[in-house]
Amino acid sequence: MNQLIVRQLIVDERNQLFDAQGMRFAEFPSDFSRVREFTALVLADCPEQFKEGNLLEQQLSEIIKNGIKHGNHNDPRKKLRVWYDLRKRARFIVEDEGRGFDVLDDWNEFYRKRQTALFEEDFDAFLALASYRGPDSDEEDGGNSLIAALEYWNGGTIFNDRKNKIGVVRWFAHGSS
Amino acid sequence: MEWKICPRGQDGFEVVALEGDCDLYSAPAFAKAMLSRIAEAPRRIRFDLSLVEYLDSTGVGAIIRILQEARRRGCELRFAGLGGSPRKVLKMSNILALMQEEGPA
Repeated sequence: MNQLIVRQLIVDERNQLFDAQGMRFAEFPSDFSRVREFTALVLADCPEQFKEGNLLEQQLSEIIKNGIKHGNHNDPRKKLRVWYDLRKRARFIVEDEGRGFDVLDDWNEFYRKRQTALFEEDFDAFLALASYRGPDSDEEDGGNSLIAALEYWNGGTIFNDRKNKIGVVRWFAHGSS
Repeated sequence: MEWKICPRGQDGFEVVALEGDCDLYSAPAFAKAMLSRIAEAPRRIRFDLSLVEYLDSTGVGAIIRILQEARRRGCELRFAGLGGSPRKVLKMSNILALMQEEGPA
């Protein structure tokens, strides 16, 4: 039996996911052509069991892409900062220098409608809602990265108050030391 | 990513076989080519993704645009060879339910 599952992007500046103590750090220029290269650098020492094929790479790459493209608008003067911790779980904080994801509430509402259409098996409505279009979207964006992110990051997907910093964590059944 | 279009088989489907990473760099060109192909004439297309090992949200977005256009134009699409993380990404994006999926030939 299908269940209606509606998750939400949450703003919580004081969330423990923003505690960067003991985390490793890297800073990258906003170069869209190097998104996957930056992701590979962050994951260079990642335990194999966290990679799940290339799923972790793909999910981290989405966050880095969003920061560079939508946050920093590919402005090479703006930096993307990544804190990461790959002990026991995969945890990341990613901060850009943009004005923040200020359509977060609109996105949550879009996602609620999309999930409702899916639950009601209204595939025409679902297909019409399949892609989110915000003020900064182009035809290649679909808002799909955040939909998958809400499921993939099973320990949370949290924004800071300014919404230019995201904290995520994925726990694994068999952690690493 | 590269793709190859094979002529229609006995079942009336032409096959588009993809190979490589369907990602933020390659997916836009793929979407453009497929949208223009669908716009030319009603078609039946089978996408073979068995050689695609990486699919990101831009790739998912490309598939959504192709599905939307196919529905508008009355095209029939099928997807074969989906596995590994590309299938997981489509499932997590809740798009898999819209795709007519086929097992290995």
